[in-house]
Amino acid sequence: MSEEGRSRSLPLWLIWSLATIVLWGTWGLVSKIASAGVDAYVNQLLFTVGIAPLLVFVAWTVGKRGKSGESTGKPEGRGKGVFWAFLTGVLGGVGNMAYFQAMVKGGKASVVTPVTALFPMVTVLLALVFLKERLGRVQWLGLALAFVAIYLLNA
Amino acid sequence: MVWLGYAILALVLWGITGVTQKLSTNRISSERSFLWFCWAMVALSAAVLVVARPHWGLAPVVVVCSVAGGALNGLGAWTSFRALGSGGKASIVISLISLFPLLTVVLAVLLLHERLTWMQLAGAVVAITAAILLSLEPAPAKTEAKG
Repeated sequence: MSEEGRSRSLPLWLIWSLATIVLWGTWGLVSKIASAGVDAYVNQLLFTVGIAPLLVFVAWTVGKRGKSGESTGKPEGRGKGVFWAFLTGVLGGVGNMAYFQAMVKGGKASVVTPVTALFPMVTVLLALVFLKERLGRVQWLGLALAFVAIYLLNA
Repeated sequence: MVWLGYAILALVLWGITGVTQKLSTNRISSERSFLWFCWAMVALSAAVLVVARPHWGLAPVVVVCSVAGGALNGLGAWTSFRALGSGGKASIVISLISLFPLLTVVLAVLLLHERLTWMQLAGAVVAITAAILLSLEPAPAKTEAKG
């Protein structure tokens, strides 16, 4: 795209980012509505029905690239990569169920969602301990604010 | 306050996925990683079938919202990958995306008529600020391969 064209239209990454905000922001709303009439187990089943078309689409995309000989990953450690991705799905799914159960138990969408959105605090702590990553001052500040937020939201 | 216990459980589990996802995408493509993530969801649902007692006669609005929840969550993950793959800097994209609870708060107040105390409102603002700050990676000391 030319410089002129780029300045006239929104960059693609911004459009995808805004779409993500709308999709995940609305997810909290529909979860709260659903929590009035269904338990976390049944919600997980219906949730998977909702994600199924995307699974088919992504599988088709990955399969098409594989057939065309395009690389879809790094050959070394592929099995481990699949294992970690699968574990991510299981933990993410159980996390979804806990998130939903928080709403079933009376948590407001406007409070539960900001609390659970603090999950990067756990990620940075784990990355600090297990991946030996270092934290910047800004992240330490974020970590401190996360604890303040939980206290305030619980008030 | 039982809800808070479940919310913190979700926070911890999702926090762990931040690490496992990175361990995965360091080895396989993000698309393949996402695919296996979805397959795990299917496996989890198969396991849930053993303990779940699905009953027919659920209100249509509940079914629509539950199914929509899965679709919105999955599509959101997909669009976030697209944002990162479209030239957006990770620190900016992830920080921007961290604003999504703000939309939930606004929608919940406007459409579900939820009421927040001033303390909770301040907490929501601080939580979103914290999530953005936590998403900002420090400048790397040396070049690191990222999936």
